[in-house]
Formats: sequence, structure tokens, C-alpha cells
Amino acid sequence: MSQYIYVTYIRSTQQKVWDALTKPEFQKTYWFGMHQETDWKPGASWKLMFSDGRVADAGEVVEIDPPRRLVLKWRNEFRPELTAEGYSRCTMELEAEGDLVKLSVTHAIERENSKLIQAVSGGWPRILSSLQSYLETGRAHGDTRSTAEVKK
Amino acid sequence: MSGTKFVYVTYIRSDMQKVFDALRLPEFTRRYWMGTTQQVSEWKKGAAWAIHVPDGRKFDDGEILEIDPPRKLVLAWRHLNNPALTAEGFSRLTYELEPQGSLVKLTLTHQIDVENSKLIEAVSGGWPGVMAGLKTLLETGVPIDEFTKWPVGV
Repeated sequence: MSQYIYVTYIRSTQQKVWDALTKPEFQKTYWFGMHQETDWKPGASWKLMFSDGRVADAGEVVEIDPPRRLVLKWRNEFRPELTAEGYSRCTMELEAEGDLVKLSVTHAIERENSKLIQAVSGGWPRILSSLQSYLETGRAHGDTRSTAEVKK
Repeated sequence: MSGTKFVYVTYIRSDMQKVFDALRLPEFTRRYWMGTTQQVSEWKKGAAWAIHVPDGRKFDDGEILEIDPPRKLVLAWRHLNNPALTAEGFSRLTYELEPQGSLVKLTLTHQIDVENSKLIEAVSGGWPGVMAGLKTLLETGVPIDEFTKWPVGV
């Protein structure tokens, strides 16, 4: 098995972190302009879309317990060598700790030395750091406005 | 590869010097790293280095193996508060900083030449909070309250 785990702590509420992870209008601001298409029910099909409309990743919702836990079946759809690895499993867990939310993302596949897991290991720190900035400061990482502009 | 390794990457909207200072200097570390401070005679290669908890106990010690401000810092690091971890000897902690537009990419690598290291398992649980607290402090100026205090009973 190959597995990548990333944990971060965000000064926010579970509901806000959950919404930022699941609602397109929030997700687009910090996740490379991408958004998900799904109706967020167990067994529902799930797609992660590039901003130009192409499908980046696809699969289904395996488990959903708002605002605590989301499990997705996840296959890459834009790099053939990663598509060939088949389905991985991505688990997002949110726990409230005081005025923080502990967010744990575990991305795993039943395959040794997975190139998919190697690829997502580079992506998750960028996405989740940007999410933390977005929720704590109002500005995601791709947002180049000055703080003064944002405060207007 | 032999040994055990933990790697954590974060991106902080700040500048290189500020991140490099915040990783080492007491006026920063007290506000996000559970109230701890790092003590060194001088920030140069070969100098002895230690982490002190707020009641004065030395919690970890070692030395500066490499320092290239504001890009890289490598420390020899031994834990002192838990005999099983102290027995594993010195680990190696590397901080690497790279500017990326308006962000600093900070990569932390903590490794030791021990298989299934308990030290690395322990620090794997601690680093995400320290790194998240650092990012919050530098980006918002307001520390996370829980991360300013040493935990009771430790």
C-alpha cells in the first residue's frame, strides 16, 4: 500500500472548513480554481473539475458525515500512467479542538510505490496551506491582492 | 533506505527572513511553539542548541550542523524527556526555505538512522501543530491561544 497523510490546524469552525472543502464557490478560490461536481450522497458519482471544464479526477462518494468525515473513491483522469493505477481512497476528517479545527487528509491506494500518491503528496500541502490562509485571512494563496485591497 | 523519516511541507505568505527568524527566535517561538524557546550561544555551525520548556527544563538538545540564512538550517536533535526516545540518540532536523512568488515554501525533514523510530513517531504528531501555528502567527499576527502555552502535566 502507498499512503500520504497531511494534518493541519485551522482557526475556524468545523462547518466553515466543511463548506470550504465541499462548496464550489469556496473551493474555486483556494484549490487551483478547481471545483467538485457531485450531489454529496453515499454512492453518488464525484468529479474534480479543472477551471477549463476538463475532468481532473473522478470516482464516487463512499462515506459522508457532515461536518466531520468524507471518504472519496478517487481516480486520476488526466495522466494516463496515473489513471492506470485505478482507484485510490481519500479520507478527510475534521475534529474541533478549542477554537481550532484539526483537518487530516489521508490518501491511500493498494499499490506499492504509487505514482498517484507521489503526485498528490506534492499537491495536498499547497491546497491545504491555501485553504488555511483563505479561512484565516480571507485570502487564498493565488490571490495577489494586497491586504489593504481585501479589507475594503 | 534505512532509518525513519517525517516530511512536512507548508506554504506561508511571508518573506524568507521572517520565516527563518520565526523558526528560531524566542519572541516568535514563544507565541506558537507551546511557549518554548531555543537556546544557543551563537547561530553558527557547531554551536550547542537546546529547546527549553517554559518551566526551564531542557526538553531537546543537540547542535547546529549547518546554517545558511535564510535558506537552510540543519540541527542534530536528541529528545531528553522520555528515556525510550533519548536512547535512540541524535536525529537530524532540516528546514529548507524557498521563495515562491508571495509565498515561502517551508520543507521540514526530521529523520534518524533507527528503524521504526519512536522519536519520529512522536514528532510526527507534534510538527503539524507547530507548523500550522507558525503559519497562522505570521499571516494573521495573532497567535493560536492553545499553541502559546505548555500543556499541563508534560
